[in-house]
Amino acid sequence: MASSSSSKPADGHPPQTSAARENFDRLYRDHVDLMYRFANRLCGETEAAKDLVQETFLNAYRGFKDFRGDAQVSTWLYTIASRACLRMRRKRKGAPERELSLDEFIPTHDGEFRLQIPMEGLTPEEALHNKELRQALEAAINKLPKKYKMVLVLRDMEGLSAKEVGSIMGLNERAVKSRLHRARLFVRRELSARGLAHERDGHHRVSRGTRAGA
Amino acid sequence: MAKRTNSKQHRADTEHRHGKGRCLRILRELSAYLDGDLSAEVCREIRRHLGACPNCEDFLASLRQTVSLCRHAPAPVLSARERMRMREAILLRARAR
Repeated sequence: MASSSSSKPADGHPPQTSAARENFDRLYRDHVDLMYRFANRLCGETEAAKDLVQETFLNAYRGFKDFRGDAQVSTWLYTIASRACLRMRRKRKGAPERELSLDEFIPTHDGEFRLQIPMEGLTPEEALHNKELRQALEAAINKLPKKYKMVLVLRDMEGLSAKEVGSIMGLNERAVKSRLHRARLFVRRELSARGLAHERDGHHRVSRGTRAGA
Repeated sequence: MAKRTNSKQHRADTEHRHGKGRCLRILRELSAYLDGDLSAEVCREIRRHLGACPNCEDFLASLRQTVSLCRHAPAPVLSARERMRMREAILLRARAR
C-alpha cells in the first residue's frame, strides 16, 4: 500500500501518496492507449513508442500537481509527449531536419500535377488493407522532418484542431496551417510518385482484386 | 493564312494559357480549401478554376486522398500485458527519482 506523504519509507525512496497514485492510475488507464497510438505515429516503430509513452507518463506523474486543469488532460499529455519526443529524437537517427519550401512541391509539368494515388475508387479503409500502400504511407510520414511530422500527426491523424496543435507546439495557427500544407504536399508527392513508379514497372494499381495485405 | 484551331485544341490551350501563375496561387490554398478555412468568395473562385483546369482538379483529388489516408491510418494496439508492464516500469522510475 502506498505510504502517506509524511511517513518515511523503509527503502529510502520518496513516498508515493495514495492520492498521487490514484491520480496516476486514472490518468494512465484513461490515456495510455491514446498516447501509445500517438507515440507510434511519431516514432514510427514500437520500441521507441513504448519509451516515449513511459517518458510521457513519468513526466506527467511528476508534473501532475502543476497541471492547472485549464486545458484538457489529453492536450496536456500531447504537449508532454511532443516535448519528450523532441528531446528523445535528438539522440536518435531520424529524418534530417530541414525546412520544406512550397516551391519544391510546385509541379513543373502536367504529369506532376496529375500524379495520382493508387486507390481506384476504394474508400481509405479499403485502400489501406493493401500492405504496400500502408507501408508507403508510413514511410512517407517518417521521411518528414519532425516539426512537419508532428503537425501532420496531431492534425490529420489525431484529429486535433489547428488551435489545439498550436497550443501543444507553441505555434500560432497560421504557422500550424503553413506547416500542415507543406507536410500534406510532401506525403502526397511521396505516395503518388510511388503509384506512378508502379505503373511504369507494369504492376497493377491497388484494386479490389489485388489487396495483398487484406 | 492563319489556321483556325479546332475547339478541342482551343480548350487545351486555354487550360494552360490561364497560366501556371493562377494554378500556383490555387495550389497554395488547397489545404485551407479542404479544411474549410477560406471565405465563400475565395471558395467560389477556386471552384471556378478547378472546373476549368483538370490539372488542379487532379492535384486536389490526390491531396484530398492523402488527407483521408492519414485520417484512417491504422495504429498498433498495446496488449494488456504490455500496458501493465509499462505501468510498473513508470512507477518504479518515479519511486527511484
